[in-house]
Amino acid sequence: MASPMEQFEIHKGLQLPTVPLPGGLSVDLSLNNSIMAMLIAAGLVIAFFAIATSRAAVVPGRTQLIAEGLFGYIDDLAAGIIGPESRKFFPYVFSIFLFVLTMNMLGMFLAFTATSQLAVTVTLALMTFFLVLVVGFIRNGAKMYKLFVPSGVPWYMLLLVTPIEIISFFLRPVTLALRLFGNMLGGHVALKVFAGFVPTLAALGAVGIVGAILPLAGVVALTALEFLVAFLQAFVFAVLTCVYLNDVVNLGDHH
Amino acid sequence: MAAEDTPYTPGAAPAALDGTYAGAAPADSGGGLPQFEFEYWGGQIVWLLLIFAVLYTLMSRVFIPRLRRVRETRAETIRSAVAEARRVQDEADAQAAAARSEIEQARTRARTVAAEAKARANADFAARQAEADARIAEDLAAAETRIRSLRDTAMASVGEIAVETAGAMVERLTGTSVPAADLRAAAKGAAG
Repeated sequence: MASPMEQFEIHKGLQLPTVPLPGGLSVDLSLNNSIMAMLIAAGLVIAFFAIATSRAAVVPGRTQLIAEGLFGYIDDLAAGIIGPESRKFFPYVFSIFLFVLTMNMLGMFLAFTATSQLAVTVTLALMTFFLVLVVGFIRNGAKMYKLFVPSGVPWYMLLLVTPIEIISFFLRPVTLALRLFGNMLGGHVALKVFAGFVPTLAALGAVGIVGAILPLAGVVALTALEFLVAFLQAFVFAVLTCVYLNDVVNLGDHH
Repeated sequence: MAAEDTPYTPGAAPAALDGTYAGAAPADSGGGLPQFEFEYWGGQIVWLLLIFAVLYTLMSRVFIPRLRRVRETRAETIRSAVAEARRVQDEADAQAAAARSEIEQARTRARTVAAEAKARANADFAARQAEADARIAEDLAAAETRIRSLRDTAMASVGEIAVETAGAMVERLTGTSVPAADLRAAAKGAAG
């Protein structure tokens, strides 16, 4: 029987040139199943929005209604967290939400989940992290230190609070990447393990077939749970992106 | 020719997979997880950045402006429709108020007209009654005058009759006729 980890194996497809990078590194641009999953996910999002908004009408059709529903959902979310300036950051939050959501959902249908690749989640998390840093320094300049020094805290508490704030700030990309990665990895491993029990037990004979009903029911329930997790993790990623952006956009206003 | 010696060849992948599962993996990959095969990280990262850049550009330049525009158009349509409806409502309210005041005026006018008509009818009636009263009074007066004159005439005749009767009685009793002048004097004395 296949290992539960087999689903995360990268298999190279179309061979593309390896590009050397400065510093002695090189990047193999060959397509593989992870890259294909990302391409399909982005392709689906783009195709869906191209269709949904191509004939954008005041009275929306079905696809436009779904697109507007997603739009309104994330727009309200971003506006609720970041405030009136959310419009500038909304395209990023919306893109990342849709991209992660589609990759997660594709994992429920395709054999491959791009968001179960640490390389993918780390990149997404670092994108958000550096966006927050860049936005923070552009908007606040040298006042960025306030991010680590909450106002209204006595100096002896600052000795304790500031290191904690600094550590938690730099742990953000780590937690952001590991949360998504761990959820998708764990969910798909659990699915595979439970699903593996079914044929193993069923092979034992009549008693085994009866016993296989339990893991089968478990797989069905887990699949439903995984759909929830697929949405939830995309949502959490979008929410945390908003929260982190809010910290630097409204620096000094919070707390 | 390059496709022949890629790791994608069907034989190679299951072999690597079996090796991973057998526990020999930690030697050649990070920690047993295929995600820690760092040789594939570069490609994934670069492709992810490219794909996300395209997705972000299309979103921010095309799809989101389209959706924002249609939502704003809709909000504007609704706002103007509500304003229009409010305006029409106000107009209808004003018309209803005008109609109500008009009805009120008409009612007042009708009341005045009715009161005038009643007053005129009353006056008319009073005048006619007065006229009738006057006529009746006149007739009454005329009748009374006639009665008085008739009675006076009758009373005047009474003396004459009494004289004649007395003369006739005296003549019958005494057998002598008394001159009328004496009789008249006697009658006048009796009557006096």
